[in-house]
Amino acid sequence: MTRVAPLAREAITDPELRELIARGEALGVPGDLFARIIARAPAQAVPVMRAMLTSFTEGNVDHKLKEIIRILLARFANDRYFASLRSKKAQATGLTEERIDEGCFAYEDEAKGFSEAEKIALRFADLMYLDARQIDKTFYDEMKKYWSEAQIMELGSFMVCHYGMAMFMRSLGAKAAIPSAT
Amino acid sequence: MSTNPDLVDDDFFNELRKHFNDEEIVELGVFIGINLGFHTFFGSLKFYPLFSPDGRLLTQAESEKLYGEKPASLTGPVL
Repeated sequence: MTRVAPLAREAITDPELRELIARGEALGVPGDLFARIIARAPAQAVPVMRAMLTSFTEGNVDHKLKEIIRILLARFANDRYFASLRSKKAQATGLTEERIDEGCFAYEDEAKGFSEAEKIALRFADLMYLDARQIDKTFYDEMKKYWSEAQIMELGSFMVCHYGMAMFMRSLGAKAAIPSAT
Repeated sequence: MSTNPDLVDDDFFNELRKHFNDEEIVELGVFIGINLGFHTFFGSLKFYPLFSPDGRLLTQAESEKLYGEKPASLTGPVL
């Protein structure tokens, strides 16, 4: 049981929130438990759900790369709940557990075949909450060789949203939604 | 949540519940989570507040001098 209990489904009556929850469930992220907990604060729940879904599923950065980054950050936050969720869209387009682990732990290994663009995006996520001082002008100049400024903002905003909510779910003591996949 | 998330445990929540209801705790948690994420990202982009504590409009160079490398909330009041 989480430290703040989720609302019962039937207690969520806002049609916009119900639609966002359904979208999140169809995607697999951010999942049922998170949505029903933040539904306790409806004025917050709608924009947060929208921001999480938009930043994850829209834009011009590959969704599979975002899924690896999302899991990397959830693992880094030590949040078992979000680390256990999987995007059905990413799975449907071929993202495997092996590739997720390679992206989280071995993306610099040339043998794993990540492109230079993917590697610097994963390094961006890795360093952001480990040692943001390393994300300096030199780092951004290097990143701009592979990504447009719009894509860098897309990646940064996506990371902010999902890492912040992973830290919140960790504080609530949320357990893995799928115990074998953290 | 930001500097030592391990301290946000059952005892902490029991204390929090003396002052806030579940809706307010969720509101705070979401607010803190988003801010925790954004301020780190914004820090990496090296942009600074547009105004001094007394309300003067600042250039980014002036603001960097005034606010320095660390957020004011972690270093005490800006003088």
